[in-house]
Order: sequence, then structure tokens, then C-alpha cells
Amino acid sequence: MKNIFTLLLCLLSTAALAQVQKGDVLFKNGTVLTVTNGTMENTDVLVRDGKISRIGKDLRAPRGVETVDIQGKFLMPGIIDAHSHIAGSAINEGTSQVTAEVSMEDVVDPTDVAIYRALAGGVTSIHLMHGSANVIGGQNETMKLRYGTMNPDDLRFEGAPRTIKFALGENPTRGGRSRGIQPQSRMGVENMLRNSFAEAVEYGKEWDAYNSSSDPRKVAPEYDLRMQTLVDIMNGDVLIHCHSYRADEIYMLMKVLSDFDVDKITFQHANEAYKVAPELAAFGASASVFADWWAYKLEVYYSTAYNAAILTENGVLTSINSDSGELIRHLFHEAAKTQKYGDLSDDQALALITLNPAKQLGIDSRVGSIEVGKDADIAIFDKHPLSVYAVPQMTFVDGVKYFDLTDSKGDKRIFVNPESTISDIMIYERHEDHRCLEDANMVNFEDLFSNKK
Amino acid sequence: MKSLRKISLHFMLALSLVVFGTNAFAQSDPSGTSAVTKTFAITNATVIAKPGTEMTEATVVVKNGLIVNVGKNVTIPADAEVIDASGLYVYPAFIDGMSNTGAKRPENPQRPQNLFTPDPPNDYAGITPENSIVSQMDISSSSIGNMRKVGFGISHAVPYGRMLPGSGSLILLNDAEHMDDILMAKDVSLYSQFVGAPGAYPGNILGIMAKFRNLYKNAELHKRHVELYAQNPVGMERPTNDRVSYAFHPVISKEKAIMFDVDEMLDVRRALRLKNELGFNIMVAGVKQGWDVVDELKAANANVFLSLDLPNEPKDSKDEDKSEEVKNLEVRRMEFYKKYVTQAGDMEKAGVPFGFSARGASANKIKANVMTLIENGLSENAALAALTVNPANAFGIGQVVGTVEAGKMANLMVSTAPYFTKDSQIKMMFVDGDKHVYDVKDKKAKKEGDDMAEETSSADAGAYGAILGSWSYVFEVPGQEQTGKMIIKMESGMLTGVLTSDNGDPDQDISDINFRDGELAFTMAIDAGGQSVEIIVEGSVDGNAYDANASIEQFNVSFPLSATKDDDGK
Repeated sequence: MKNIFTLLLCLLSTAALAQVQKGDVLFKNGTVLTVTNGTMENTDVLVRDGKISRIGKDLRAPRGVETVDIQGKFLMPGIIDAHSHIAGSAINEGTSQVTAEVSMEDVVDPTDVAIYRALAGGVTSIHLMHGSANVIGGQNETMKLRYGTMNPDDLRFEGAPRTIKFALGENPTRGGRSRGIQPQSRMGVENMLRNSFAEAVEYGKEWDAYNSSSDPRKVAPEYDLRMQTLVDIMNGDVLIHCHSYRADEIYMLMKVLSDFDVDKITFQHANEAYKVAPELAAFGASASVFADWWAYKLEVYYSTAYNAAILTENGVLTSINSDSGELIRHLFHEAAKTQKYGDLSDDQALALITLNPAKQLGIDSRVGSIEVGKDADIAIFDKHPLSVYAVPQMTFVDGVKYFDLTDSKGDKRIFVNPESTISDIMIYERHEDHRCLEDANMVNFEDLFSNKK
Repeated sequence: MKSLRKISLHFMLALSLVVFGTNAFAQSDPSGTSAVTKTFAITNATVIAKPGTEMTEATVVVKNGLIVNVGKNVTIPADAEVIDASGLYVYPAFIDGMSNTGAKRPENPQRPQNLFTPDPPNDYAGITPENSIVSQMDISSSSIGNMRKVGFGISHAVPYGRMLPGSGSLILLNDAEHMDDILMAKDVSLYSQFVGAPGAYPGNILGIMAKFRNLYKNAELHKRHVELYAQNPVGMERPTNDRVSYAFHPVISKEKAIMFDVDEMLDVRRALRLKNELGFNIMVAGVKQGWDVVDELKAANANVFLSLDLPNEPKDSKDEDKSEEVKNLEVRRMEFYKKYVTQAGDMEKAGVPFGFSARGASANKIKANVMTLIENGLSENAALAALTVNPANAFGIGQVVGTVEAGKMANLMVSTAPYFTKDSQIKMMFVDGDKHVYDVKDKKAKKEGDDMAEETSSADAGAYGAILGSWSYVFEVPGQEQTGKMIIKMESGMLTGVLTSDNGDPDQDISDINFRDGELAFTMAIDAGGQSVEIIVEGSVDGNAYDANASIEQFNVSFPLSATKDDDGK
């Protein structure tokens, strides 16, 4: 019997076939913002085969290794966006309120020019998330922005743990009401979560009994990828990232997860997380929030720009995310807002967009700080990235340069529809900014009848 | 990429049967139309028996549906109808790798009352792999004659539907009295496409990929259960009579391949991903963007069918003052257009054998499109192979069709000039030994290219004269009004149409145009963020006025659409 793990192995072996490019480069004389080890002036960083191999002064470039002079410039770990919807061919399987079986890894679109725009904001990794139409949405995909490939597998953050999207509150209940199915209220959301986990417990038992039976004539129970994924969550193999706003629903989910012995949870958005910061810290839950974005619907009114700082000071692992193809280009500004609202230190503020999201995605042994042995995912700025005057100069993934401000003009698309009209191409597709509820089956007349897609 | 709109419907509804030349019915013949003889000798011909060969002054003898002799000094049987083919060229008839030829689009499944969208019935979800194209076949469909007229002897016909509509079959493109007469091989592939159910699971590619895995895994378990039960049923619970799982059994045992209809590069990759995870044999058809997946297709040992539907060549703006940016954008657009038209030649160079699929391509554009591929690097030999031996081998029928050789089925195309030249015309087709003769036009007298279409449209204009032409339409949805032209044409015996928009939106193709008793109906497929939405327009034509309702079944809404026929000065 092939189970989900063999299936996963198949996936990994396919991924292993994809060859990603690794670079060698020596950065000379920059101000290095390590995040984990403070700021180092006039420092060199040597990258070999895509990894940071030395950090120090007066390093010499080995033969054949290009030197990049960053005197007067700032080198920081590549920015990681823990909540993104760029580079996806589809975002929601919005027809059912529990879709744990679907996965964003099937819909990665390497041709989305938004990847290049994100690189231009110093971003090197994103967490491509399923939308928030469903209580239990699909599995997400953690990616490195190796723009230029036509193979989605090349964007995969190889070895990153699996994660899954959950959603509470108005979005999933709106979907339920529009279709006349559960959940239509927050009570229904909780019930749906409990029922799903309880059902998965039974499913797991059935398969355990089957797998441990030595009867050669044993008959397998029905296979259900949805239930199997929930079993994997309970086994700790899948990290939950839950769309949520209100303190009461955040607290509710922690209680539900306790009952099913699940402890790996990051609350996404979590505008009211500051109200339950000590409880989050006690649970070991993380939060990934906006700097100062709220009031776009009723459940998002009770918000504060001090959210990230309060959470951080209470010991909650916190990150700042974009959820947007536009905001993703200036996450360093978003992080800097925590210095205005909450007085976080430089390292604390930078960690919100580097090391902390890396931890939330389970990739912090690879990225998130400038340390020997870590991946050379690096952003270079002309000013300190927490300054409003900072402009990203260059962005490297695995030591390979994917963005350079001096070569950033012109058409950076890697796929062009030959039947498109030129005027369409020139208009910025603003509607793609917020795709959280795309395909959630609410009639949007503009989408339906406008041919501009 | 997202701006690349997916047109999921095609102009395939047969509306009229256009019969050219002689039809040889194989059945008993009270009407006296059957052929006098089933033996033919095509003499003095140039025979291109297979790609890369040519034999001049040759004779091909056909008897009872088979090629019995090909060569220079062959004896002509006494009962043969002798066809003097001086100056004519004989080729193997073409084989189409995937289309809906002969299929009649079934009514869309009604949205059930109180549909539980997470778990709709299989027929609404589009999961009916147990079905066969045979049940959708309409032997009187004009698409059979239309495909034959442009050189095809066999179509791999696939059913209409959504994710798993059923199996495709090889159809001989003959006029028949019974389906069995033209059914060459039943259910040779399991056909799949990434089309979600309207407003129900699986609704888009996310759900389809997961559902596919789930169905396949359960089919594997089911197959094992069925086998164990067959060995000894005593004391074992009965395997369910699960038709969906049963449909996968021959796929799991690799007796049958799954054919995915995947035009875009990312969809090709998704199909390959399923193949690599689950291990079945794969065919990919309708491929338009294959240039980046050549290695992957090779590694998967996939049978590849490139789409015969090509994008229109982009036209650069004639504005003298256009900016450098616009010029650059036009260059890039052209660069990508070239990828579509050079991919066949590139695959030839990469050593990937491929065929062609006609789904989505209108029959009268097929030759022009093949010529475009040849102008862009495809060799004539490889083009002929893609139309004949490659698909024959892919479907395992290479022993009986694909070349002009003694012992093979008499599927022949007779052309007035070497086929891959601009002026060549098809004069005669033999399918399964039945002869079909076409009028050949004097090229000099007419404008090149669309002579056949003209012929057809004038013949059919009578019945459809009331709707053919240009209309000005107004389409009202709450808070918005769209105006433009509705243009309906007759091309190769098929009604085609387009809605243009006055606000500069791209043209919207309309499909399934049906006009009967003053009632005009058609459909439009719109891509609403990854989910295909079908709009059905139905209404009545009264003189120059068309008064209709456009409804979207899945949202249970409808809006008025009215149109006035433009005065064309007649």
C-alpha cells in the first residue's frame, strides 16, 4: 500500500531532478545586518556554491569568483513573506469548506511577473498560500524566488516543511452562507474544525488497523487524501497557518488544537492578537501580521499599529507579511513602522521580515539571517533598510543575482501572450493585489463580464 | 499568463450536413446510391507512400477496403474503376490525434436542486470516466465530412464534458448508416481535461489535481480488492460496483493510456506530474505551449499531439509615433508568437515524435496552420509523419494505417499538387476503401485560401441567411452595459461567431450556434479567475431584431441581450 508518505517521496524525487542554479560571489566592504549577530561594519561576505561560506574582513575572492563592491551599502538576509498570493494560477478551491487535500504546489506559476516585482523589494522567499474561503483550505507552498525558470519545481524551497491554510471568521462563513452550507457562523467554524479532526482520528485508526494486519486477504479502507492530510497535521508533519482576526476566534482555535494535540500554529493577520499575546506565548503559537492595515471589513476594526511590537515584547514569535503583490515590494518599510509604533530595535524589526517568518515556515536553519552555512539569499540596500529613503539595489537567491536596480528597466516578463493587446500589457493589473477570496464563488460582475483578465 | 483566456468551448456543434461528391454506402442500398464497385485502380499517380518517399507513374489498387497493390507494373483487376491520376499525388490519409469529431455536445447536466457543492453527483462534477464517446456520437454530424474534406481519414474522437468525460475512440471519417460501421477501435484512451464543475467540487485546477489523485488511489485499491475477490470470494466483503474505479483498471494495468487535453505549458506539467506520481501511461494533446517541456515529455515517454489551432500572428501598430516601449513590447509579443509556430520544428530537431490534434482548430484553417509550421522550421517529412505514421503508432494502429502500402487499410488522400504547397487541393479521399470526390477549383480564377469556405457558405447561406452577418448588440448587466458587434459567419459548413466590444476588450468567441425556427441560441465561455463560466444565450430572431436572454446557470441569473442586424446595403 502506497500511503501519503510514499507519494510525498515521489514528489521529492521529482523535485530533486530539477537543477537549481547556485552562485559564487564575494561582497566587499558593506554594512552587514546579520539579524542574529548584530551589525558588522566594513565587512565582506563570501558565497560559495549558493551558501554563505565566510563572513569577515579583507576576504579575498577565490579564482573565478566575482567581487561585488558594496561599500556604503547595506547587506541583509533576503526578505521572507510569510503570506503571499503571487505566482499562483489559482488561489481558492472555494467550492467546499474543507479542502485539506488540495495543494498550492500544483498551481505555482513561475511566469508571474509579480515574482520579479517582489525581488525588486528585496524579497527572496514567499509562502504561497491557499486563499481564505475555506475553514480548512489547501496546503501552501514555500518558495524561493528564482525568477526566470519556466519550471515551477525550480521555485520550490526544497526541504521546507509542509504547511496548510486554515481560516476563521467572516471569509469562510460568507462562503458557507452564499452556498447554504456549513459554516454560516463562527460557531459553525469551530464545529467544522472539531468534526474534521475527529473524523480524521477515526480515519487514521482504520488505516493503522489495515497496515498492521498481516492477513494476506485484507481489504483496504477507502483512501481519502483530505483525511490523510488532517492525520498528517495531527502527526506534526504539517504546520498550520490560520487566517484569523478576532481574539476570541484565535483563542478558540488554540483550544481546539489542544484537544487534538496539535501545537504548530501561526495565526495569519491576527489583528486582535495583541489582546491574547500572553496566551499565544504560553501556547507557543506565532503570529504573522500587517504593520498597520485594517478596517477593510467589520472584523478588522479593532486593530492597532502596535500589534507587532506588543506581540514581540510578550515573547510571541511574530512576522510582518504582505498578502499583496504591491505591499510585498516594501516589507522593509512595513517592518520599520514597528520602530515608530513600539520602539523595536533594528534587529527586532528586521527579524519580523527575515528570521521570524523563516521560523514560522520551518526554514530558519537555511535562511533568515547572515550566518556561515546558511543559503546566500541576500538583499543589498543603498541606505539602512529601515530608513524610508532605502532603495533595494540587488537581490540574490542561492548566491545568484535575480534583481539589479541598474538593469531593472524594460519588459521583465518571461511569458507573453501573443494575442494580447499592447495597451493591456501596460496597464498594471491592480485587481491581482488581493486574491484571498478569489474563486470563492461570489458573483463579481466586473470579473465575469470584463474580458480584461 | 493570467491574461491568456481559456476558451473551453469550440465550434463543434454540427448544424448541417454538407455532402460533396460521391458517397459510397457500405450497407444494403434500396436508394441505389452505393458504389458500383469496391475495387479501384488509381493510375499514373505520384505516390508518397510514407514520409520521405516518392514513387512516380505508380498505380495504387484498392479492393474491398484494403490497399492490395502499390507499384509501377501492377495488374489492374478487371472489376476495377480506373482513376487516371496523372498529375495527382497520393498520400496516406491523415489521422487526427484528438477532436470532438462526430460528437454531439450533450445537454449540460442540470444543476441539482439543493446541490451540496462540496460533494456533487459525479455527472455534475464531470467525473464519468465510465462513459464512451460512442454514446455522444452522431454519425450524421457534418464535422465528419468537414474533417475528411481537409484530408483526414481517422479522428481520435473524445467526448465533451469536464474533468473525466469518458473514453475516446478511433473513428473512420466515413458516411455511415450505423455507428458500428465507422468505429475503428472503441475506447482507446481515457480522456481528461482540467475543467472544473461550475460552482461545485472540483471547481478548478486545485481541486481537480487532488480529486484525480484520490480517484486513482481508490481505483488501485479497488482493483486489488476485485482481484482478491475473484480468487476467492468466501469470507470477503463484496467489492462495490464502482464504475469510476473500474474505468481506471485498464489504465492501472497500462493497457490504456490517459490522454490529457492540455494547451498551456503549466497544464502540460500538471498532467506529467500526475503521471510521474501515479505511474500510468500518458498522452498529451492540444498542446500549444510545449517548447519548455520537451525534456520532460521525453522523460515521461509521453505521446504528444500538438494543437492545430495557432494564435493569430500579432499585428504591430501602424502608428508612426509609437514609443520605444510600445515597439519593444511588440517585439516581445512577436518573439512569443514565434515560439508557438516554431515549436513543431524544434520538437522535430529534439527527436520527439509528435502528432497533431484538431480540437479547437477550424477545419478550413488546418492546412494553412500546418504550412505556417513548415515556414517556421518544420520539415515536410516531419509534418507528414505527424499527420500519418506518428499518430498511427501512438494509437497502436501502425500496422493497418498511416502509409500507402499493400495490406493496409485504404485510407488515402489524393491531392492536385504536392500537398505542402500553397495551391494544392484535395481532389479525392478514400476512407476504409470508400471513395469521396471533391470539386477542385481553378485557383487563378479565385482568391487563394478560402475558396472552400466560400463555396460552403454560399451553399448554406439560404438556411442561415437570417442570422449571417453583422449585428449591433447591447448586453445589460446591473450597473454595466456592453455594446459591440455580433458577427456570425458560415465557415466550412459550420456557424462561427464572435462578439466584439466597443470598449476595446478582446473579442469573445461564441460557440454552439444553433438556429432553428427563428430561435437563435449560442454559448460563450468566460474565464472568471480560473473558473470557467458558461453563458448561454437564447432568443428569437424577428426580421432584423434579436431579443434574447443570457443566462448563467451556475449562478442562476440571466440578463437581457438584444441586437439589431446591421444594414449591409443590400
